[in-house]
Amino acid sequence: MQGTAADRGGFARLWWGYAGLGLILTAGIIITALLMRTPPVPQPVAFNHRKHTGELGLNCEFCHVYVKKSAHAGLPDAQTCTVCHQTPQGTSTEAARVTALLAEGDPLNFNKLFALEPHVFYTHRRHVGIAELECRGCHGDIAETERPPARPLVRIDMDFCVDCHREQGQTLDCNACHR
Amino acid sequence: MARWGMVIDLDRCTGCAACEVACKSENNIAPVSAGEADMGRATSWMKVMAQVEGEFPDTTMHFYPRPCMHCDNPPCIRVCPVQATYINDEGVVGQIYSRCIGCRYCANACPYMVKYFNWYGPEWAQSERNHLNPDVSVRPAGVIEKCTFCHHRLQKAREDARAEERELREEDYQPACADICPTGAIVFGDLDDPSHRVYSLKEDPRALRIMEDLGTQPKVYYLRPRE
Repeated sequence: MQGTAADRGGFARLWWGYAGLGLILTAGIIITALLMRTPPVPQPVAFNHRKHTGELGLNCEFCHVYVKKSAHAGLPDAQTCTVCHQTPQGTSTEAARVTALLAEGDPLNFNKLFALEPHVFYTHRRHVGIAELECRGCHGDIAETERPPARPLVRIDMDFCVDCHREQGQTLDCNACHR
Repeated sequence: MARWGMVIDLDRCTGCAACEVACKSENNIAPVSAGEADMGRATSWMKVMAQVEGEFPDTTMHFYPRPCMHCDNPPCIRVCPVQATYINDEGVVGQIYSRCIGCRYCANACPYMVKYFNWYGPEWAQSERNHLNPDVSVRPAGVIEKCTFCHHRLQKAREDARAEERELREEDYQPACADICPTGAIVFGDLDDPSHRVYSLKEDPRALRIMEDLGTQPKVYYLRPRE
């Protein structure tokens, strides 16, 4: 049985209605996801990890001095950069900017990129100093980046930690990380 | 596997409450106003209870320092609907604040009344804010908190022992209360390790556990005062 012209008009209106609803929902989901994303982490200078760790062969501990000794690995300050950058290094404009900033007495406050929730008690000492895990296991290819990433390269959540603890046969006691 | 426990010699306890102060300082326990304390909203993971015996003027006073008993059969974990409180392999009854929903079932189930509800977010004087212990979280309003046998100290002691490639010693891990006690009334250690003092002290004829008949099997022993 053929539908009348009025029926066909009704179907078309319904179809457009569904399409419009779908579009609004998709846009809503995308906007919510963008809003819920962690804000980008700004840095005082565009530090080139690849240059320092690869070409110059500096180890992570040179700048992150507490990585084997303390809970936090620590971030470098102007004093660390001054070791080399007091005098102009290389040809890049960013290196020239670092020297200029140091000459002005800028403290070069780097910001923490990988931050855990406040109820998580992690120590670098236990994982890097004692268990001798590699940095890339949790921080991904941070040593290969040429510009500071705006967001962490690896999403470190409880599944991430617990999966590794299971694989390595390490403690699964809640108290080990939460207190 | 260790089984951590405590023995408190009531003959040695002078009721000075240094353990209470040390505990509050170690575990970031916020003070409350006098009015709130009157309503029973003060938090004290370690509490020195006082008991007067005899008729005036022939009275004696006894003090009972009371931390969480860390029962081997804890009633609190049976009632927790979200497994925020649990007993670990070493017998420490833990409380996971980020998981707690604040229903207070555990506080009501505990016969020793050692679980405390956070009625408010913590408030400290400006001068005290930089003195908080970074190894212990600051609990938000709406969760239950309790004595942890200073479990964070065990983790630190274990890290030190591993870094120095040696076994954990008895003196490496002591909770703040046992550490501070000026008369040595609070003794802490592994109840199953014959080299620890608590191992023999818990077998002392004076040893007793509070409300043992409930079957909670507490791991805090008291040495009753000599007559």
